[in-house]
Amino acid sequence: MIKKLGISALILVLLSGCQNSSMEPEEINPEIDVCEVCNMGIAHKHFATEIVTEDGEIHKFDDIGCMDEFLQSEGSLNEAGTAKKYVRDMESGEWVDLEKAYHAYHPEFWTPMANGVVSFKNKERAEKYVKDQGMGEVLDYQALEKHEWSWEQ
Amino acid sequence: MKFYMLTIKMTLFLILFLTIGHNSASAEAIKVEEGESIQAAIDRSKNGDFIFIMPGVYKENLVIHKTIKIRGEQGAIIDGGADGNVITITASNTHIEGLTIQNSGTQQEDSGIYIKKANENTIKTNNLKDVHNGIYIANSSQNQLLENRITSYESHFSKRGNGIHMFKGGEHLLHGNEISDVQDGIYFDFTKDIRVTENHILNSRYGMHFMFSEQILAKKNDVERNITGFMVMDSKGIKFIENRVADHFHFRGFGILIYETKDVLIERNEIIRNSTGLSLEHGVDTLTTGNIIGANQVGLEFKGKNQQNTFSENNFIGNVVQSKISGDDMRLDDGLKGNYWDDYRSFDLSGDGIGEEAYKAGSLYDRLLQKQPYWQFFFESPSIMLWTKAESLFPSFGSANVYDAKPLMEPAAKLGDQEQDQEKSLLPGIAGALFILFSMLVIVKGRKQL
Repeated sequence: MIKKLGISALILVLLSGCQNSSMEPEEINPEIDVCEVCNMGIAHKHFATEIVTEDGEIHKFDDIGCMDEFLQSEGSLNEAGTAKKYVRDMESGEWVDLEKAYHAYHPEFWTPMANGVVSFKNKERAEKYVKDQGMGEVLDYQALEKHEWSWEQ
Repeated sequence: MKFYMLTIKMTLFLILFLTIGHNSASAEAIKVEEGESIQAAIDRSKNGDFIFIMPGVYKENLVIHKTIKIRGEQGAIIDGGADGNVITITASNTHIEGLTIQNSGTQQEDSGIYIKKANENTIKTNNLKDVHNGIYIANSSQNQLLENRITSYESHFSKRGNGIHMFKGGEHLLHGNEISDVQDGIYFDFTKDIRVTENHILNSRYGMHFMFSEQILAKKNDVERNITGFMVMDSKGIKFIENRVADHFHFRGFGILIYETKDVLIERNEIIRNSTGLSLEHGVDTLTTGNIIGANQVGLEFKGKNQQNTFSENNFIGNVVQSKISGDDMRLDDGLKGNYWDDYRSFDLSGDGIGEEAYKAGSLYDRLLQKQPYWQFFFESPSIMLWTKAESLFPSFGSANVYDAKPLMEPAAKLGDQEQDQEKSLLPGIAGALFILFSMLVIVKGRKQL
């Protein structure tokens, strides 16, 4: 019996150890998670972004701008397949693949690091946000790549 | 009797006000009692009027759009009904005093008091509780927040707002406020020229949070038991003088964290019992002088590129790890005087109070810790000790060369400490003399009896 238990426990451990091979994002714990670039605690969970590497390493950021800054210093993570990048839908908090997300941008939009880029899971939601705020523009992945961040100016 | 007192108070106020204000010859005192509407009183008031709020609970969301003074008698409570701001101020030169303000909404900018494009208002001795943000000042200047008490609601800090949040504008004075259980005690968001003195901030995420702000003076504040005391980011011209920054023991807590900031003065502060006392990352032109940095897990930390940072006459005492250094080479003294490091082991042969050998900050172990935080487990183990010793014999072994060429042999005296010491030493002296006199008396008496 104990042996069986031991084996099933072992399997469980192995399974949970393998879980990250699917490169899924991890929930933010505002009590302990801080942005890897700017050190700020991630209090505004819906603005958080994550990079999950193929080795299962998870890098957390408080603002999409910090993630971009990190990617510029860690160029190897930009190669295809090495890492997945996630942003969250600002309203629902769902994790969205960066390449599929749409963003609303205006320098006046509030974000933790004042980058003014707010992410959404689809184009309609981003457009609605821009309309509700009465300012800004919608960026898709290609436009975001060309975007000049506040810390680059 | 109470009524008489009140009338006297009101007349006194009126007289005071009439003699100070010029254009208020017709100023009126309006009394609002429980069951009446304060907003209605505001709406029918004229600029310069006084409104006195009698004790009671007023369930209202007020908009103050006239230059008036509002004073709450003890027990006057304004309850925002968990919706929006409790009080919104859009007029200048108003005066709000002695109110209990509670129950704002929970949206990002919902506040106990929201000052919107309004200047020279005075918010004094109010008690703000169960509010998202305490006082929010947007696009305004020269407001004074004096001796208010601010707490948020029971919740995790990530769901609360800030004690005092300032967005754009500046030239405010924040004095003597007591702020606890909020997200960030005082948040500087694109602000300029602000003085923050003698405030007490505790049990929050960051004591003060500086973002993109300039020319801020924080003096004699007491900041304790938050996650981080002062969080300074992307700012310039920040002065910290004579503050106490203590007990930030959170796993990722700092006394003071300076990130991408230039022109910082840190003078005569007490930075004690923090996970990391003072951390510099991309700091430029900082001067750290006359501080006590003691009893921290890590006293001093450098990360990334730091330029033109000067340290002089600081006392590094009783830190578990004195310094954790990574990044560029740096010199830690100002050329004349260095700092007191309690782990410095060398001699002062010339007798000038300065050690002949340079103090080298950080060790190879520190740099390893940066990469492998878990190696903290091997702290002061024989192998690490041996390693550190070997490194000190071969100074070029480590990568960054951070050193104090003028280490002090004795702790640098903090200004104003000396007189205190004298007072203290007098009392035990007198007590001792009395004891000796008494014992002599006992001996003499005892002998006589024999």
